[in-house]
Amino acid sequence: MLPENITAILARNERWEGAAATEPFEAGWAREAVLFVRSLKAPEGTKPALRVQISPDGMHWLDEGATVEVPAEGEVAAVRLTHFGNWLRLAGEFDAGSAATLLVTLHLKA
Amino acid sequence: MTDQTEAIRQGMLLADPQLSRFDPMRRIICHDDFSRGHCGWSQLVGNYEGSLDTMLPGYAQHTSAMLSTLAHWDAGSHGGYDSSYALKIATRPRPGAQNVAIKRLTMRHRGPIRFEAYVTYKPEATELRLGDNDVRSWGFLFDLQGGDQVAKRRVMPHLRFLNADQGETLRKWQYKPGQTQFTDIGSEKKTASHYHLSPDGWQDLPGGDQLMCFNEIATKVNWHYMCFDFDLDAMRPLAFRVNDREFDVSGFESIEIPAMPNLWNMLNFAFFVETDAAKRAFLYIDSVCISGDF
Repeated sequence: MLPENITAILARNERWEGAAATEPFEAGWAREAVLFVRSLKAPEGTKPALRVQISPDGMHWLDEGATVEVPAEGEVAAVRLTHFGNWLRLAGEFDAGSAATLLVTLHLKA
Repeated sequence: MTDQTEAIRQGMLLADPQLSRFDPMRRIICHDDFSRGHCGWSQLVGNYEGSLDTMLPGYAQHTSAMLSTLAHWDAGSHGGYDSSYALKIATRPRPGAQNVAIKRLTMRHRGPIRFEAYVTYKPEATELRLGDNDVRSWGFLFDLQGGDQVAKRRVMPHLRFLNADQGETLRKWQYKPGQTQFTDIGSEKKTASHYHLSPDGWQDLPGGDQLMCFNEIATKVNWHYMCFDFDLDAMRPLAFRVNDREFDVSGFESIEIPAMPNLWNMLNFAFFVETDAAKRAFLYIDSVCISGDF
């Protein structure tokens, strides 16, 4: 049987400002992940580094260490991940007056 | 089918550990065991044209279903019915939030079909309390339209278990009759959208009160059997069973709207879940068996 792989959309056309994060995603079956971020509209203000986060339970989160920049409108940024346990999400802190409208895509592979 | 052929078929089903807990009709259309992946159950994305901003808010909130081991903070992975994995549909953490997973097929025969599944539901365990009224509802729907030579209408049977609303304990099955409001999407007159899972229009299924095994803390779950039979020719329900209960569907009505130009022979199945509290609601689906009498 071919190894499982899927593409999940964690955020679609979501406007992120202040403290923002994707919904938690369970990916324990996957050995590797790539998180893609595309800006659907021109980012406003300063562009924070978005932080990959992991969790023991989907409720308590800590930074995994990897980050990905908010890309310019229409452009895509990505971060590659392994050893993330089960739970994954992407989080960001936007300064006052800053915002981004994002498509966040997670590719998982067994 | 002769009596002997049927006896052999039944014997083979009963001896198969994967199928023995289902009662499929003659032909198995699909048997989705989520230890083998997502099995074609995907996110229900809303219609749009030109910009994603045209998507109705009810759809914009939807996210992708995931493969879950029902991992809990206090007891670790609960696991599925007989494998590690189940399909998990999760809402966002605000009252009234909903999420949906859908499987899209087309029909090759308009006759009786049977939709069986093992499912369970829980709120996110963010509090040290049971939270038995934190899931507002969960349920399933079909989205159906007959062939291009015959169909005059699109038919959408909906059934939901209304567990609670605004904190009030309800525990009853409901269906959704009538029509829903369509909104044109974009300017090309090719796409419209309607949020058929909106809170309005649900009716109580007569005799549809049911108490379920919810267990005693937020992280203990029990799997429930459900089975809905529907005739794709008459576009009428035939039977509805959940665990040991059989419900009268003689008064059941579906959402019915005029046939649409791009949906001929559509045979879609969807599960949905809705939260009543400011916490995520989860619907877990261990396995699904869809079969037909053809």
